[in-house]
Amino acid sequence: MSVAVMRLRRMVSSDHPLPWLSPLIAMLVVFTIYPLFYNIWLSFHEYATFKRRLVYVGWENWSMLIQDERFWESLIVTFTYFIVVLAIELVLGMVLALLLDSDGPGFGLLRALLTLTLVVPPAITGMMFLLMQDPEFGVLSYLLELLGVLDSTTPILATSSLALFGVMLADIWQWTPFMVLIFLAGLRSLPPEPYEAAMLDGASAFQTFRRITLPLMSKVIAVAILIRGIDLFRVFDYVFVMTSGGPGTSTYTLSLYAWQQTFSFIKWGYGATLSLVTLAIILIIANLFIWRAKVRW
Amino acid sequence: MVQSKSTRMLRILFAWAVVLLFMFPLYYWITVAFKDAREIFDSPPNVWSFSPTMKNFEQVFGISFGFEQQQEVLPGGGNFYMAPRLWDSIVVALLSTALAVAISTIAAYALSRMGFRGRHHFVAWVLSTRMMPPVAVAIPMFFIYQDLGLMDTYTGIILIHALMNLPLAVLLLKSFFDDIPQEIDESAIIDGASRWLIFRRVILPMAKGGIAATAVLCFIFSWTEFLFVLTLTQTGLKTVPVVSSSFVTSTGTAWGNMAALGAAAIVPAFIFILLVQKQLVRGLTLGSLKQ
Repeated sequence: MSVAVMRLRRMVSSDHPLPWLSPLIAMLVVFTIYPLFYNIWLSFHEYATFKRRLVYVGWENWSMLIQDERFWESLIVTFTYFIVVLAIELVLGMVLALLLDSDGPGFGLLRALLTLTLVVPPAITGMMFLLMQDPEFGVLSYLLELLGVLDSTTPILATSSLALFGVMLADIWQWTPFMVLIFLAGLRSLPPEPYEAAMLDGASAFQTFRRITLPLMSKVIAVAILIRGIDLFRVFDYVFVMTSGGPGTSTYTLSLYAWQQTFSFIKWGYGATLSLVTLAIILIIANLFIWRAKVRW
Repeated sequence: MVQSKSTRMLRILFAWAVVLLFMFPLYYWITVAFKDAREIFDSPPNVWSFSPTMKNFEQVFGISFGFEQQQEVLPGGGNFYMAPRLWDSIVVALLSTALAVAISTIAAYALSRMGFRGRHHFVAWVLSTRMMPPVAVAIPMFFIYQDLGLMDTYTGIILIHALMNLPLAVLLLKSFFDDIPQEIDESAIIDGASRWLIFRRVILPMAKGGIAATAVLCFIFSWTEFLFVLTLTQTGLKTVPVVSSSFVTSTGTAWGNMAALGAAAIVPAFIFILLVQKQLVRGLTLGSLKQ
């Protein structure tokens, strides 16, 4: 038998990784690599309304992008959303995980209850918070009015300085429990020895957390930031159902802007350009983070 | 850590307070599902005292609980019978989960057990496909699906949902397989077993819990997905999250019906997640717990 045939036979046997990986590779190539190139191709074309077909426009979409004020605004909105929500979910998630890390009576039930928020479709969560923040009959608006924070003359989702926070609230409610659960898994697997030593040395609870828990948890925290961070940067559902980008442009995220340009305004080329930029930013930030935080799997 | 009795009590109290605070939006949403249209629009909002009605559920699921049916004008003159949409959701979620789990299990086995050049880069590439924003996939897929006739079909949505879940499923399963000691494979190989046999007879049974947890996660992500269904379907099928927005009509929002559908849609996913909670949570740390 020739060497080539033997190699081929080895490649299709179960000892070679290729047969195992080929369905995965096929799916990823068809559904991500091909769309990626299709998008790049689209970004150099635009739908011509009169000719009713895509025509080549060169770098026009890209130069439009740089001059497009709304693109820069949506970039700022996306970054604000990403940073604020990630920070709140991380800190709140850690505090709640520390609180719930106990074998006391009822804590198992509490942890199970928290998973409830994760199974609500984000679009429905958006509706839920839309109803609660309704200026006339929303329970949250009512509460805020009772507390004297806001009154019905400043509806949260219809005030441009507040709308983004109204949307963030839905995200924080839904995904803080996700952080809690990941952190709990980490906390529960920590070795007891460092804590015993810290207690002997008379360390305070805060010192113990700062010097022992945080460093031991750093890998788990990094993974949580990576998974959530990617999702936060692509946020679409909440803004789509709650504000559709409004009032004005105050809650336009990159994903929503790209989607609307494509499917509402039939600017396929420009929408593709916007979605490519979103992808590029996520790739850069995520890979920088993976490299800096030394995430391994 | 040693805690006095009063701190312990305080902690339990505080933990309950926080969790109940998180549960409040859901509680309120469920009360809306049982409320009459008038009571939903009560001001101040009616949280405790309302007369529960099954009307919203009856309209949405087309079943009668034996209460008096009243003719009324629905917002937008709409038809709110959504039972077929629930079926669409179930079909899409189950089949896309099966596909994603099948593909990612065999791939994760190879990534966990077989050393080959560039394995680390391959895993990084799989993860990086998750960084692709759904909108960046949906735009080209809109055209591709139109050319292939996959627009508005179960096959199309099942494929795209399976794809969406692949990166995380592969990483999860890889971390579960990594937990199984390598020695088991090695001794089986010495006994002359093929990789495929080891995978089927040894690894699959041992990783059952992890595979179940991955399946549940895939199910939930497909069950709750919004953008792809919104973009790639027209009338043929619609899943629950997308169809919820059809309760928003030009003459008002049918909050009660929307809440009824939303509340019912949470139940199956919640039962699944409870069954596999421990494994799922450990898996989501993607193996970063090992020192």
